[in-house]
Amino acid sequence: MEIQRVWNSQLLSLRTLEHLYMFTIALSVSILVGIAVGVLIYRNPKLADPVLNGLNVVETIPDVALLVLLLPIFGIGTGPTVAASILYSILPIARNTYTGLANVPREYVEIGEALGLSPGEVLMRVRFPLALPLIAGGIRIAVVFTMGVVTLGGLIAAGGLGAALQNGIQLYDMGTILVTGAWVGLLAVILDGGAGVIENRLKVRYGTWS
Amino acid sequence: MKFKKLFNRIESIRLEKVTKRYGDRFAVRDLDLEVRGGELMILIGRSGSGKTTTLRMINRLIDPDSGRVSINGADVEDFDPVRLRRSIGYVIQNIGLLPHLKVSENIGLILKLEGWDEAKIRERVTELLNFVSLPPESFMDRYPHQLSGGQQQRIGLARALAMDPPLLLMDEPFGALDPLLRTQLQDEFCKIKKELGKTIVFVTHDVNEAFKLGDRVAIMDNASLVQLGTPEELIFEPSSELVSEIVDSKRKYRHMEVLKVRDMMQPLDPGYFLEGSLPAEIALQKMVDGGLEVALVFKESGAAGRISLNEVLKAGKTGKNLNEISKPLLVFPADASLFEGLTQLKEEGESMALVLEEGMPAGLLFSDRVLQGLI
Repeated sequence: MEIQRVWNSQLLSLRTLEHLYMFTIALSVSILVGIAVGVLIYRNPKLADPVLNGLNVVETIPDVALLVLLLPIFGIGTGPTVAASILYSILPIARNTYTGLANVPREYVEIGEALGLSPGEVLMRVRFPLALPLIAGGIRIAVVFTMGVVTLGGLIAAGGLGAALQNGIQLYDMGTILVTGAWVGLLAVILDGGAGVIENRLKVRYGTWS
Repeated sequence: MKFKKLFNRIESIRLEKVTKRYGDRFAVRDLDLEVRGGELMILIGRSGSGKTTTLRMINRLIDPDSGRVSINGADVEDFDPVRLRRSIGYVIQNIGLLPHLKVSENIGLILKLEGWDEAKIRERVTELLNFVSLPPESFMDRYPHQLSGGQQQRIGLARALAMDPPLLLMDEPFGALDPLLRTQLQDEFCKIKKELGKTIVFVTHDVNEAFKLGDRVAIMDNASLVQLGTPEELIFEPSSELVSEIVDSKRKYRHMEVLKVRDMMQPLDPGYFLEGSLPAEIALQKMVDGGLEVALVFKESGAAGRISLNEVLKAGKTGKNLNEISKPLLVFPADASLFEGLTQLKEEGESMALVLEEGMPAGLLFSDRVLQGLI
């Protein structure tokens, strides 16, 4: 049928793997960097405003423009696509990490101190676990951002499902456009849903408001 | 184990001229207070009186602006706060279990950070859960939100005891519980207090709780210590209107369970006592001469008797001595509880009892006089 035709002619299995590969790398790096930035600005509150404002500026650059701006640095293809995804995703993760760590209820921090936890232990054993639901919320936003930017990477020869979509547009092949578009959409919904399930689990497990 | 306790027992905790201000408000002002080793010291006062601040200066959650806090003579400022706090158990207001940790992890948190191995932690947690009357197998793996308020409170106590600290600080531990549960847990705590054998500093705003649990009670108001003493001292010798208002001195009956027989006995004139070996005839003479309607007999064995002029008259010339004809009289040690004393008087149908101080007669307890004294 149509779906099978598009799937085979556009090598959608391969494209999906490429797509998820870029997605995984971009998201993993975003999580590591985002949490690191969040912890850093939590520990140096003076940095919080400049860093978050800087990331906000990045966020306001339209994604197509950001991809193009990164071309001179990373060449074309996967490099700028992954880099742009990461740049977009750091903000929600860093911001939520920072907010989560800073807003752990005072009483839990106090009991940690009263029991004899060092400041580092209070951060790792009390603040961080209790901030997890909010951090997961930031990651969930990053999942959606990353999915979008990786798809857009098709424009600059990054491969992935964006490439198939691009082919469909250039050939004006409505079948390819619809099938690939629907598949990307479904994939995004599934990943977002998965992230949502994890977020809710964490809320039940670590949430202080339940 | 990487950790050595800073102290294994408490000789004394001393606060000298301690002051802490927030802005231009004094939280604690020029406070002098000594907690003796092994006692349960209550800090009581209205909110904002400085009691919690005082408590928190002992484990350096708050450092004073001036003055000195010392444990066993060593300034707490010289201790590393983390080590100091691990040597002191702390039960926080509203319990404060960490919501993301299971019961066993809450109790074993510090043990784990101290590098105990899993098996040893489990053993200690089991022991502590048994101690606070929660079956370990069914509570070990629960999360705090799966526990009732009273159960959480017990876990909070178990956690504070994890490192077997010689000193416990308790900040209104029963404050969040309903009255029935609070009474139940106070009763249990009274029992385990002796078993624990620890020095305890306990903050509350409930005077009944203070008198029920405290060996000594420190009343604080307006950032200063107002009066320090045993519950009896505060009831009978309030140093100010404020103290008498707080302890409700005017209605002493409220404190009957705290009072001792000594507090309500009437002093006794030694002239009332006659030798038990006296024959009735001679005793009669003495009673008439001394104008006594009634006399008391006290034996070396600690037993006592009472005899009236009429009974001596009747015995007359039978040759019997006072030991034989006197009626037995109840005897209470002076530190017996007043409440139990009165209960016993009522059960025996008696209206008076002899009170002994260190084995010697010191006074009499009259049930009707007690009531007059209390109201």
